[in-house]
Amino acid sequence: MRDPDDELEAELRQLAANREPVPAQLHQAAVDAFSWRDIDAEIAELVYDSLLDADAASLVRGPADQRMVSFAVGGMTIDLEVTSTGPGRTVMGQIVPPQPATVEIRHPQDTVTVEADDLGRFRSGPLPPGPASLRLRPPPGEAGPAIITDWVAL
Amino acid sequence: MAVDPDDTGQLVRGAAGGDEVAWRGLVDRFSGLVWAVARAHRLGNADAADVYQTTWLRLAEHIRRIDHPDRVGAWLATAARRECLQSLRSTGRVLPTDDMDRLDRTPLTGNPTEETVLAAEQEREDADRAALVWQALDRLSARCRELLRLLMASPPPSYAEVAAGLELPVGSIGPTRARCLQRLREEVGGITGGASSSN
Repeated sequence: MRDPDDELEAELRQLAANREPVPAQLHQAAVDAFSWRDIDAEIAELVYDSLLDADAASLVRGPADQRMVSFAVGGMTIDLEVTSTGPGRTVMGQIVPPQPATVEIRHPQDTVTVEADDLGRFRSGPLPPGPASLRLRPPPGEAGPAIITDWVAL
Repeated sequence: MAVDPDDTGQLVRGAAGGDEVAWRGLVDRFSGLVWAVARAHRLGNADAADVYQTTWLRLAEHIRRIDHPDRVGAWLATAARRECLQSLRSTGRVLPTDDMDRLDRTPLTGNPTEETVLAAEQEREDADRAALVWQALDRLSARCRELLRLLMASPPPSYAEVAAGLELPVGSIGPTRARCLQRLREEVGGITGGASSSN
């Protein structure tokens, strides 16, 4: 005879499969995620996210509803200030140490390219909410590997 | 070299080497787990979709640097959990809802003929039982609901994966599972025997 707990768990599993299956287009998006790899680039890892790492007191937000996110690789840091503007998101970035770069803001539907100025500052237009990752290229004429950031949901 | 779809470590190493079939094998194996973590945290549809997609994009980027390829399920569950917490704390989004539940609770309308009733009787009983169990899940403690919802993933996750998705000690999963399944039985039984509380 089967264990009654195993039977109930199997019933629950069937229930979840019927009522909350993984949507087919999401499953496909997971398959497609493989094509976003950039094996020559260095990965700047997420080292700070105010939503997760700020202490409870500072979770009280200002009117601008800003979120701070930082990525780091080697001696470089990329700081982002993410602002919610209605349904969209706007990103203001700072590369430290300051340096110019071409910044591709990648999200599953599209890639937006902006330039960081000599002080390492850049800014996006409105972006759709959802997963995004930055890819930094050195300015034309300068050598160096591209840098990609961890994906984060904006 | 053929990749064994049951050997997770081999799938990870294959995908790290650029093998798309191996990657697809990983998605097939762990798609349900990542989705169940998002569902266990009661995110709305859009937020659950973001968590799911971000988690897979992150794995694709890190696939060549996974320390324990055979434990990639726990890696995914941990990453998805982190995304869920981030999502729950972000503002400017729809609060977590039970929208899936609501969509599923189709009201009974019209008066079916006797024939239809007879033909559909068994189906109705099954559906009634399913609805009862589903609603009973909702009345469990948050801890039980989350744990069971994660255990409900297809294919079945390991206890280590469940533990990672909820940040619980692996040793607590077995005993908590037994207790929560018992609570669920009591909830389902209580409704079947007692007066209905419809709202």
